[in-house]
Amino acid sequence: MRKFLCLCLCLTACLFLLSPIGPAQAADQIKFGLMGPITGDWASEGQGMQRVVELLAEEINAAGGINGAQVVIEVADDGGAPRTAAMAARKLLTSSVVAVVGTYGSSVTEATQDIYDEGGVIQIATGSTKISLTGKGLTKFFRTCPRDDEQGRVLANNVKGLGFTKVALVHDNTSYSKGLADETREILKNIGVSEVYYDSIVPNDRDYTVSLTKIKAANPDVIVFTGYYPEAGLLLRQKRELGFDVPIIGGDATNNSSIVEIAGKEAADGYLFVSPPALPDMKSESAAKLMATYRQKYDSLPSSVWAVLAGDAFLVLVEAAKAVGPDPAKMSDWLKTGLKGFEGLSGSIAFDENGDRVGEVYRLYKISPEGEFVLQ
Amino acid sequence: MYDLNFFLQQLSNGLTRGSIYALIALGYTMVYGVMKLINFAHGELFTLGAFFGYTLLVSLGLAGSLGPPMAIGISMIMVLGLVALAGHLLERVAYRPLRHSDRLAAVVSALGASIFLQNAIMLKWGAQYRAYGADLLPNVVFRIGDFNLPLVRLLVFAAAIVVMAFLHAFIHRTRLGLAIRASAIDQGAAKLMGIDVRKVIALVFVIGPALGGLAGLLVGLYYGQINYNMGQIYGLKAFTAAIIGGIGNITGAMVGGLLLGLLEALGEGYVSVAWKDALTFVVLIMILVFRPTGLLPERVAEKL
Amino acid sequence: MSQGNAKNHNGPSGGLGAGPGAAANGERGYLAGGLTGLGLLAFAFLPLLLNAFAQNSAPYWLDVINTVGLYTILALSLNVILGFAGMFHMGHAAFFAIGAYSTAILNLDYGWSIMATMPVAAVAAGVVALVLAWPIIHLRGDYLLIVTIGIVEIVRIALTNNVFGLTGGSNGLVGIARPSVFGFRIVQPQHFFYFIWAVVALTLLLFHWLENSRFGRALKFIKEDTIAAENMGVNTSRYKLMAFVVGAAWAGLAGTIFACRMRTISPESFVFSESVLLFTIVILGGKGNQKGVLLGSFLVMGLPEFFRGFEDKRLLVFGAALVVMMIFRPQGLLPSKPSRYKLPEGWDDRLPGPGSPGPPTPGQKP
Repeated sequence: MRKFLCLCLCLTACLFLLSPIGPAQAADQIKFGLMGPITGDWASEGQGMQRVVELLAEEINAAGGINGAQVVIEVADDGGAPRTAAMAARKLLTSSVVAVVGTYGSSVTEATQDIYDEGGVIQIATGSTKISLTGKGLTKFFRTCPRDDEQGRVLANNVKGLGFTKVALVHDNTSYSKGLADETREILKNIGVSEVYYDSIVPNDRDYTVSLTKIKAANPDVIVFTGYYPEAGLLLRQKRELGFDVPIIGGDATNNSSIVEIAGKEAADGYLFVSPPALPDMKSESAAKLMATYRQKYDSLPSSVWAVLAGDAFLVLVEAAKAVGPDPAKMSDWLKTGLKGFEGLSGSIAFDENGDRVGEVYRLYKISPEGEFVLQ
Repeated sequence: MYDLNFFLQQLSNGLTRGSIYALIALGYTMVYGVMKLINFAHGELFTLGAFFGYTLLVSLGLAGSLGPPMAIGISMIMVLGLVALAGHLLERVAYRPLRHSDRLAAVVSALGASIFLQNAIMLKWGAQYRAYGADLLPNVVFRIGDFNLPLVRLLVFAAAIVVMAFLHAFIHRTRLGLAIRASAIDQGAAKLMGIDVRKVIALVFVIGPALGGLAGLLVGLYYGQINYNMGQIYGLKAFTAAIIGGIGNITGAMVGGLLLGLLEALGEGYVSVAWKDALTFVVLIMILVFRPTGLLPERVAEKL
Repeated sequence: MSQGNAKNHNGPSGGLGAGPGAAANGERGYLAGGLTGLGLLAFAFLPLLLNAFAQNSAPYWLDVINTVGLYTILALSLNVILGFAGMFHMGHAAFFAIGAYSTAILNLDYGWSIMATMPVAAVAAGVVALVLAWPIIHLRGDYLLIVTIGIVEIVRIALTNNVFGLTGGSNGLVGIARPSVFGFRIVQPQHFFYFIWAVVALTLLLFHWLENSRFGRALKFIKEDTIAAENMGVNTSRYKLMAFVVGAAWAGLAGTIFACRMRTISPESFVFSESVLLFTIVILGGKGNQKGVLLGSFLVMGLPEFFRGFEDKRLLVFGAALVVMMIFRPQGLLPSKPSRYKLPEGWDDRLPGPGSPGPPTPGQKP
């Protein structure tokens, strides 16, 4: 019993020792939080987010910071799961951040929205496209990524525009993918494109030959896949292996260079997807600069567009802090009313009163026989 | 729509993934047979095999310099060796100190080792998906009417069957195999017969991981895409396969693996894609309700 | 296992009777009691202390401690199955999920208050456990383990596929209300602190009583020797099933707390690795020992928070820490001790076993 008690006391003591005591915020620095999946299933996204934001912060600090104050980035790992994300959010609030960039998954973001709102901190989600995240009346919630319905609309219109009539819809049963598939399905129905197949695949299964055999039997003239790039690459590869010749069109989660490596150039040739412009296609000066420094430091490019959108979230926060000072309430008002025509990495950024990003961001891409992503 | 051709196609789909499950399941079952330990880190050893293969074939560019067939042969041998070594180290560090302790302690140690290895792989090779490249294996497809049979698939299946045949012969025809079987039935009696059980355990922890590593390499070659936490799902499925076959029984693991692959493919093809994993587990439960120790149970002395 | 019983009579059991050691033992007892009281008192005022000394980080640390508390409740309920009855159960997250979803559905679709859903959540989890466990309860060790893993997977897949149109699919359920106890709304971390730890205390007391009841003794017998228990007329299947249902029902109750604390739930929160976490807590802490389980959940749930500084290496360190802790304490940090019963004066002489001490007449026997 005594041993046990000692242990308990020690643990409690540890809690105190480890918690930072005293004024957390020095006058000449402004703290921003970055919440992302640094470990867990989506670790590659989170690590990309961290790299991009830290590179941009270094650049801003080197140029004198925000009105003389240095930018400090506090990183918290949300593990890609709601429970760990709630802890990460609390952790960020303890270090008096002004605003938080992140996170990737919609359900993970959802689990933290209230915590940030109660803490009076701005949150800018970077990959959470679920429609209902905004419009809840949370005044300090924004996102730099577009919503599922916007993407669904673009996807469906492109399917029709390219002259396809019989569609097989495939999603992977994640919140994002199913949401997008259902949006697209609805719009396709309205614009008179018939659906011959609708089902999910299981992410990380690696073997989709069974589903492809089923789809082949349904005889569509295009497959619309709303999942992520690892599965899209495998679908392309296995489709070819089965001698099944039908085009696939995908969503923005397939905008990743490794899709060609996974599928092979021959199988990837002709793959279509809609997405915000990839980093090399971003016309802005800041994007070109980021691309250069990123390549220099990590010998690669950010593997997805979401990491870049985290960079955008960070840049608008810096802009807001420059304009009205590091005050969350003023900053969020300014982001909705004062931010006009700001050139971010991915183009012009502005927010509507719900905190959604306004403006067209989606483009249609096609993979060339050489394995390049070509803007259509 | 669901004609004979469809059925045959699904059959071949199922046998391919089943042969990979079977290879991994062998590692679980061999270790379990001798040590009565579920090696939860086995899935990570499988991943390790896939990444060693990636380093050899892609990063070091063996495929380019030696030509694919030679490079694949060499990397198979090296992966077998390297993962065997990793398995041996794992046994030394995480399991040997716990050999005489409560079985559950070893289970938690295995879980810890699994977390450790998975994150070590993530830190070493990165969290993103890695691609083997599609040009390693020839894209030849045999067509019989509407039925497509890619050569790659035959190769994967053949590789798995050959390895399993060798293992079967080793276990049933050699003295070392006899020692493994004896230790599985009764360690105490095996010791009395002059078998060095410690060596047998070490041996099992070399063969099992090596086969798992080979399966990892095959997954990389066949599917072309690997990532650091793929061992979780494959590990769980292979463990299920081992249980279906009757854990501890080597033939059982092979049968269980193939059966699980078929079960998944047919469930996915004829019932529902989204529910097929649930269906698999329902079938597993049914099997265990009627045959509480799997289809081909090993005679395991009940410990009291 | 018979060795363990021999120890029972061997050990320096100060409580067995009067003797020179008894007085010192009594003093030590008071001291321990005092320290315990002091510790508990300090813990009870933890929110205030944290607010006073670490204003900024108080909500965070309270949240960590609340999570520890929630997982303590869950691990204690798993302990009934795994620790008391010795059944290898690695699918506890399934019942946790059923509780959480019951609460969410009743609250969102039918407007029940959270506290009213709590018993329903527990009953729902218990009933599901009863139905699922009925055919499998006789399975041996590792076969039971894989079946329970199967159960947690089946439940997760059912939730993801929006079973009966109730669970919201992979989006989960959003906007669950806060609970209120006697008209007091529980919102802030410090409110949840008292709420959760009150339930922890209740759980500890309840399962302590359960452990020492006829039921608990029967479970212990089954764990030590199923065949002997059966021969003595203990209905092993029935007792095992009861333990399973009790543990599952309590996990369902913890699900209610989780649902109203998170306010949104989705299948991702109830994956297999959560079950593994709970399993680890019980084994690491010392299966069967409630104090051990409490300590285990502090370590398993708390350590990854302390390791945040390692950033992407924190789970690596955690995994290594698990291996090391198991190697040094394979029996768990605080293993459960065999039960002791006071025997009537003079009975010890007749007990078998080497070196049984007999009535404590110092100096006579080692």
